[in-house]
Amino acid sequence: MSNRRSAPGTQRITDEQITELVSKLQQLLPELRNHRSNKASASKVLQETCNYVRSLHKEVDDLSDRLSRLLSTVDDDGPQASIIRSLIN
Amino acid sequence: MSPPKKPTSTNPNSLKIRLAYRFLHNLNNLNTKRSILYNTPIHHRSHRVKIAAYASMASMVGSRRAWSREILRKIRTQGMLIARKKKRVDHTTTHHLHAAGSKRRTSSNDDPNPTREYVDPFGDSGQEVKLRKLVPGVERMDACGLLDETADYIKCLAAQVDVMRTLVDLYSTF
Repeated sequence: MSNRRSAPGTQRITDEQITELVSKLQQLLPELRNHRSNKASASKVLQETCNYVRSLHKEVDDLSDRLSRLLSTVDDDGPQASIIRSLIN
Repeated sequence: MSPPKKPTSTNPNSLKIRLAYRFLHNLNNLNTKRSILYNTPIHHRSHRVKIAAYASMASMVGSRRAWSREILRKIRTQGMLIARKKKRVDHTTTHHLHAAGSKRRTSSNDDPNPTREYVDPFGDSGQEVKLRKLVPGVERMDACGLLDETADYIKCLAAQVDVMRTLVDLYSTF
């Protein structure tokens, strides 16, 4: 990281910053959260992050699908609708 | 009727509550246009719910984050294209629309592999490239920004999934 011409406004990235951010990310990942004592390697954390984001995207797709089916069956005057309305207002 | 302004913390519980309000509000808007719902095929409906989910997630964070700005931008341009398509469908051929669509796509991907001098701090550029494709808005960010944005994105995405799961449970138990 020597003699790197940096554009105005960019900071030099230190290794400490990276490791701190990587461990912060690690805490969010369900797979790696338990390995508190052993810090997983940055490469592993990145890999798990990619997998986790992909699985979250897929869940959103799946839940959207189910929700859209369920929404179309909701009776406007039924109990669910009034609960939803009271939550929104 | 919008809920009172809540403090902008990323405490997971307050995040979920704010998300739930917004998502329900968006869904309700979707639901009240019932004629649209009944006439659209199921995959369109599912797509609209998905868009509502990402829109509520991104609008809650607003312009504070690169990922939320990118999501909102994409949704807005999609909406404009759909509106334009509806206006044009009588006048132009589909070939013209496809050409316009592909032009838009290539202009947003004009630099997939930046050849500028880039120091790879992770020692694993394969994963980093994949991550940049998954998280919106981080294509040209430095490593620190990428990690920071990813952490925030994951927090909000997980909260959104939670809210949706709760809603599905709520709707399916009656």
